[in-house]
Amino acid sequence: MRIGPRLWLDRLFTALSLMAVLMIVVALIAILLPMLWRGSSAVVFRGTVEFRRMQLEQHGRGDSDDVRAEVEQAARIRQGAYDLLEQFAIVVDPSGMEKRARQIHREFGKQLEHRGVPEDQAAELQSLSKRLRGELLAAFEATEGPEALTHVQTVLAHAGDMRLAGTVAAQYFELAGRYKNALANVDLGRRAEYGVLFRQVQEALRDLLGPPPGSPLPAIIKDQYGATRWDQATRHMERLLWVEKWLPSRPGELLQKVRVPMEQEFRGTVLTKLFPYVREHVGDMLQPRWTCYWQFFFDDSMSSHYFGGVGPEILGTVLVTALAIAFALPVGVATAAYLVECAGDTRPTRVLRTCVNTLAGVPSIVFGLFGLAFFVIYLLPKLGLREGSSILAGASTLALLVLPVIIRASEEAIRTVPRAYKEAALALGASRFRCFVTVTLPAAMPGILTGLILSMSRAAGETAPILCTAAVAMGPVPTSLMQPTRTLSYSSYDMAVGDKMAMLAPHNQFGMVMTLVAIVLLLNIVAIVIRGRISRKLRGQ
Amino acid sequence: MKKAAQSEAPAAEFARSLVLTPAQDWGGWLLGKAGRAGLLLITGTSVLAVLLIFVFIIREALPFFRARGLGEALGETEWYPTHQPAEFGMLAMLFGSLYVTAGALILAVPTGLLTAVVLSDIVPFRVRQTVKPIIEILAAIPSVAYGFFAVLVLAPWMQKNLGLSTGTNALNSSVMLAIMAIPTIVSVAEDSLWAAGSDLREASYACGATRAETLLKVVIPAAHSGVIAAIVLGMMRALGETMLVWMASGNATHIPTPWWDLTQSVRTMTATIAGELQETPVGSIHRHALFAVGLMLLSFSFLLNLLTEHLLRRSKRVAGGTKR
Repeated sequence: MRIGPRLWLDRLFTALSLMAVLMIVVALIAILLPMLWRGSSAVVFRGTVEFRRMQLEQHGRGDSDDVRAEVEQAARIRQGAYDLLEQFAIVVDPSGMEKRARQIHREFGKQLEHRGVPEDQAAELQSLSKRLRGELLAAFEATEGPEALTHVQTVLAHAGDMRLAGTVAAQYFELAGRYKNALANVDLGRRAEYGVLFRQVQEALRDLLGPPPGSPLPAIIKDQYGATRWDQATRHMERLLWVEKWLPSRPGELLQKVRVPMEQEFRGTVLTKLFPYVREHVGDMLQPRWTCYWQFFFDDSMSSHYFGGVGPEILGTVLVTALAIAFALPVGVATAAYLVECAGDTRPTRVLRTCVNTLAGVPSIVFGLFGLAFFVIYLLPKLGLREGSSILAGASTLALLVLPVIIRASEEAIRTVPRAYKEAALALGASRFRCFVTVTLPAAMPGILTGLILSMSRAAGETAPILCTAAVAMGPVPTSLMQPTRTLSYSSYDMAVGDKMAMLAPHNQFGMVMTLVAIVLLLNIVAIVIRGRISRKLRGQ
Repeated sequence: MKKAAQSEAPAAEFARSLVLTPAQDWGGWLLGKAGRAGLLLITGTSVLAVLLIFVFIIREALPFFRARGLGEALGETEWYPTHQPAEFGMLAMLFGSLYVTAGALILAVPTGLLTAVVLSDIVPFRVRQTVKPIIEILAAIPSVAYGFFAVLVLAPWMQKNLGLSTGTNALNSSVMLAIMAIPTIVSVAEDSLWAAGSDLREASYACGATRAETLLKVVIPAAHSGVIAAIVLGMMRALGETMLVWMASGNATHIPTPWWDLTQSVRTMTATIAGELQETPVGSIHRHALFAVGLMLLSFSFLLNLLTEHLLRRSKRVAGGTKR
């Protein structure tokens, strides 16, 4: 081939190769960045007054006077929105007023009895009250505006009746008045249509501001608070202000998804005032402020990860990992020592090496199977311990998994100790055992440490081996090594695919995996730094 | 002659061995022996572990083979473990495993090898020292984090931008598995390329070859054992991966039709074990079937492992210049 094309091909090859490296780096960034960035928003975010209220009520954190003052200030502004909602609710869902009207009638009867009104007069008043109640109920049930208005007018015509003044029955007129006012702004014919949308508005407002004043305290902690974070608040605002509809863009064409302002749907009613009000005052209602929720790494989670942090998960991961390393490290270092110091290239050594390599190549889920069959079902019950998954069983399984990592790293470390060290020790009359313990091992320590750290990161991140041996998605913080535990790795899995509640709190989903990745990255960076030092030292710089 | 005499003089001085005989230092001798024996005993742990793994997986898998035979496992694609009667055809998931692994290798092998070439031959040593840790970090990220990314970031992106019906499919898992297998491929391949030595390269350059020609026609052929070992190791990583495929492959037990349609959901052996193990009662045929799947995985990885060991030993011999 001529030289020109050959050079071009050479350059093409170089460019392709560099592109491959670039692709890997880009992949690394594309994977790590979203997890770390979105995960960090679990810790640093704009917390609202609801968040501070939650922290105060659930954990006793923060200055209670300050928080109370803030809550009250917010409540005053929120009241405006609730009032508007109330006015509209009367028309769309008058069941509360119906109940009240019936109640008034009963109370009126009792009141008459109590006051000792003569019987014939009482009967007359009773029947009047019954008629008024009937009219009111008819007004509430009416589907046409004018019809409802007639019924209301009938009730109001009795407003001047002196016999009813000062009694419970006077409240009929108040109800009628309120209903009349509300009627003025609403097209009763669209009541059913409003119903669905109005529920959406109510729900969005409930999610935004928490349970409305006067309603009973919900049992689930999640429902006791509104949007605790500003990003959450904006999502709820979206649901409050916009509605998605399937509409034909032109008559006769395919339906298309269109975002319609909620305001437009309630055109001509009192509710139109609600949307601009909320939009303008949402900042005052929630009072967002930048918050660093460092307790995220220590708190237990509440309402299945909707609130709270990853404390128990970190604890479980640390426990399982530490125990696994404690099992694997002595065995690993001893094996490495034997391989380097005692054994040449003999048949037993080769078998041993093959075994270590096999162990390194066993898929992690097979370790899980083995851990279940051997530790959980066979060995631990034989030793008189509780059957079932436990930290001990999981750690033992993980110990086997990281054993080859430790062996290889330690072997490498012991092998690279300069011969001169050893020879000097032996020349001074030290026995081989002594030489190893006092000279070779300390010199190899940084390398062994690197292996240790890397195997820690491996053990912390593995999920498959502990699936059936140690991990649970939900459960109490373990009090002994014979109990299962939550771990960062398994909870990350569970929150990504299994947990419905966690889907509502993506910051906590990402926060969980961010914690895991951050721990692993930190360990690896430490290992890389140590190794860099060793290699510089070995190169004699 | 004079020199020889000088060197003999000290030798005469140390005629008696300096090393203590066992009788003179029986304590130290015993300690040394005991230490050696102790080490050997501890070393046995790894051998014991491998043996125990095989014994216990086989022990749990045997009842399945006794009851159903190998024919059903490898001859059928229907996996309905909870039906009456239950069916345990493992062909579909075997295919699924190989399918995503092949997809991953198609992406990972060129990228990985090119990266290895860059690290060993193209960039200066200092750059290599900074790029290598970055690739190692890629290997260190837990598989569950990759799975998390695949489910919550990549899958919605694919669904939206590629117009797929589901984001969790064979393509998604293959891409993620490729990213996970690349570090393995890079590090092993780079080692063997590095070990091929500068003699070969210099000889090739001296003949007037360009860098690309040198690498493709001389260095890589010379290091082929190591390169193949790298690919096999990458394949093992992809084949044995559990959490990612469980989360990202969609877990539909069927062979995609048409077979090249990567955007369909598949299910792998590892994902089946992970997904169903927790729900099976001890001693049920379903659980034994899962152990049978595990045994298949274990045998695969064992055989591939022997293969890589053989390859790597050969590559070391080539590098050491003692080729037969």
